[in-house]
Amino acid sequence: MIFKKSDIPGEDIKRFMGMPAERRKRIDETPADPIPETYAVNELAKTLHPGYIKAEVKKKTEVAPDRFTISFRSCSENGRFPFFRAGQYVTVSSNVGGSFATRPYSITSSPFEALGGLLEITVHKSGFFSDFLADSFKEGDIVFVGEPSGDFYHDDLRDRGHVLAIAGGTGVTPFISMMKAVREGSEDFRITVLYGVKFRKEMLFDPSVFESERIKIIPVLSDEYVEGYAHGFIGPDLIKPHVTEETNIFVCGPEALYEYASEALNELKIDSSRIRSEHNVCRDLPGEPVFYKLKVHMRDTVYDIDSRSTETLLVAMERAGIKAPSKCRSGICGFCHSRVISGEYLLAPDRTDSRRLADIKFEYIHPCCTFPLSDMEIDVPPLDLG
Amino acid sequence: MRQYDVVVIGAGNGGLGAAAKVLTAGKTCLVCEKHNIPGGFATSFVRGRFEFEASLHEFNGIGTPEAPGSTRKLYDELGVSDRIEWIQLKDAYRLISKEEGYDFTMPFGLDAFAAKCAELCPDGEKIAREFFSICGQIRQAMNYISETHGRPDPKVMAEKYPDYLACGSYSVNEAFDALGYPQIMRDNFNAYWCYLGANGDELSFLHYANMVYSYYSGGACIPKSRSHEISLAFEERIHELGGDIWFNSEVTNILTDKEGHVSGIRLRDGTEVATRHVIADCSPNVVYGRLMDKSAVPERALKLTNFRKLAGKGFTVFLGLSKSREELGITDHNYFIYDTCDNVKQYENMKSFDGTAAQATVCLNSADPDCSPKGTAILYMTTLFTEDVWKDVEEKDYFRTKNEIARRMIARFEEATGVCIHDCIEELAIASPVTYARYTGHPKGTIYGYEGQYYDGLMPRIQMVEEDHFVPGLRIGGGFGERLLGYPSSYKSGVNEASRTLRDIEKEGC
Repeated sequence: MIFKKSDIPGEDIKRFMGMPAERRKRIDETPADPIPETYAVNELAKTLHPGYIKAEVKKKTEVAPDRFTISFRSCSENGRFPFFRAGQYVTVSSNVGGSFATRPYSITSSPFEALGGLLEITVHKSGFFSDFLADSFKEGDIVFVGEPSGDFYHDDLRDRGHVLAIAGGTGVTPFISMMKAVREGSEDFRITVLYGVKFRKEMLFDPSVFESERIKIIPVLSDEYVEGYAHGFIGPDLIKPHVTEETNIFVCGPEALYEYASEALNELKIDSSRIRSEHNVCRDLPGEPVFYKLKVHMRDTVYDIDSRSTETLLVAMERAGIKAPSKCRSGICGFCHSRVISGEYLLAPDRTDSRRLADIKFEYIHPCCTFPLSDMEIDVPPLDLG
Repeated sequence: MRQYDVVVIGAGNGGLGAAAKVLTAGKTCLVCEKHNIPGGFATSFVRGRFEFEASLHEFNGIGTPEAPGSTRKLYDELGVSDRIEWIQLKDAYRLISKEEGYDFTMPFGLDAFAAKCAELCPDGEKIAREFFSICGQIRQAMNYISETHGRPDPKVMAEKYPDYLACGSYSVNEAFDALGYPQIMRDNFNAYWCYLGANGDELSFLHYANMVYSYYSGGACIPKSRSHEISLAFEERIHELGGDIWFNSEVTNILTDKEGHVSGIRLRDGTEVATRHVIADCSPNVVYGRLMDKSAVPERALKLTNFRKLAGKGFTVFLGLSKSREELGITDHNYFIYDTCDNVKQYENMKSFDGTAAQATVCLNSADPDCSPKGTAILYMTTLFTEDVWKDVEEKDYFRTKNEIARRMIARFEEATGVCIHDCIEELAIASPVTYARYTGHPKGTIYGYEGQYYDGLMPRIQMVEEDHFVPGLRIGGGFGERLLGYPSSYKSGVNEASRTLRDIEKEGC
């Protein structure tokens, strides 16, 4: 025997044998106060990440032709929207026809405004859901707004002090929030926005509203010549003067902008680790659809629906009226994570696989960016609106 | 109404283990999980071109197929072992401590570890061997107690496991005082304290020694595809056995009948499921504070829950770096970086925002060079807050506070290792106690269950399991269970509660 603590023979062992009695005594001496239902840290988690927030449409304004700014008032208990990082998006969910549809939109209001109960998005009328928002949405309507999400924001630990924003069309929306955040002091960096649009009238804001020592805006018009405005596409010549050692580059816009900008940034030999791109939602594939059967398990309910080779599994479910979870709709966030029981499928060809390694190994998919290649059977969690 | 023999609340490690066990015995089982993936802490997430491990630094108790550890045996029994690919780690840890000026790396394996101890101190090897023999005896004694279902023969205990009995009631510091080892050996043996998060004056020596022995003797490994691989392996097995898992399905109520027996559960959306047996893989704080009707909670359960001390609140910085491990000059997998090896003092430092944090830091590429794209590296650093300081953080200051703590941890790592990382951060994620509270619902963002003080350590908890059981039909397991925190413990605890539930079912006839 090696261990000896007490000089009294047998004392160590006696003490050990008495441990339950010791523990029992300590429990006896503890008051039988009620256990708290929650804790401050858990409440802060809920405030920052409430899931969905019931909100009322406060105002809809056409800020440019076919481009609408919609502001929401929070109907949550605390009357606020969560504090967020400028550049993040929210989802808006509503019943449209027979579908329950959800779409992500960059927030165009500021983090401090969220604490005041206001949240704003800006929508370009260009599809089934944005048409609905632009045409049928009216003041007083109630919707579910999903909590702010995404990684498209400036972080002072990761990024340098200057953001060069390369924006195309409505892709400028996250930068509107960033500019407001810099202006109000909720974010701390300098920002230069290269803002590409076809025509001046499409611009969502007047640059002079934001221009300051820390905020610079350079509109670039591709389809018209206007005095005092740059003309063309955002290429190396326009980018180069704004890139220093202190610059990180954020890109947001249509597919064509990404291709053009990435060529330009390549040419300027800017390391890809300094470039962040916001992800576009996954669109239908071109061509004639092939029809497949899709069996969807949601808890213990089973839906037999049709799917098309040209549309994502998520869209197939939404069209059939199934309330399936979705958030980023670009394959990134993992919110729609679902299990394949059988069938062949294809990841959207225009994006890299953002699933976890084990998801691939055990055949889990993100239905928002996955197309069927055969009849399929999948297990999808229900949407929990809270 | 839907009906199951057993409903498991929470698909964390304990819940997954429990479900697999219940189903293996041929019972029907539903697992309800509030998140959209299984695992609880055992998960991963993707940022840009990096997949980050959410919690696991290293897994002890797996061993090899030829020399299986206790958790591998458990996985074998549940039918999940072959679904997981493991990577063995080479070294145990590199310990860097400012106050004592330590910077050394310890290997796995008893012989190698002891040999290295000889370099640290004249009698190092001899002392290490003695310490191993005590630890080994503790381990054997525990196995024996387990084999006898908690009813060991006192004569056998006294003859074969005298050291176990003698040291069993002491804290780590009391035990090391008695053993009288030189400071450097004591500090070296204490290196793993941050994995249990209670300080040496309080932490049960028995529990600590049992854990470190598992590391020293059996080594450690990580799953190739992060701990998410383990969680999905369990999910696959549960489906294979006919079990159901419902995600996005938070249980808000445990229902009881007139006799006070469990009769079902209710989900947040109002869905009810009938069952006579619930295994809760969450904290008793949540079970007794929120899930159960207040009138159904016995006074003793309140006392017990109030008696426990919530352990460390987690904080982790995840870094995707745009330079390779070699370019950066990172040599090790697992770093323990302390201000002092006096963990009573260190624990005190970790009570506030101003204090300096101990950190356990992992460079995943050291174990798995392919874990991130060529020319990049993954680093994650974890610390604990030993007080509930995050309760005072206001919403508008939250991001700033997270970044400030992270900045200091990064700087401390750079200072300790001489490796520069702050200028090549391509992706960054920070998990604070608020984050852990969000994903797991654990009170105050605790990641380590209840602290394992000597008077609430492994043995008294195991000996008092039935005494701590109050509501017929309800068992509570996982990281808050009788095996204490950690990966091996939480699976084992879930399985143990499942075994007890199976016995309850047999006794009650349903």
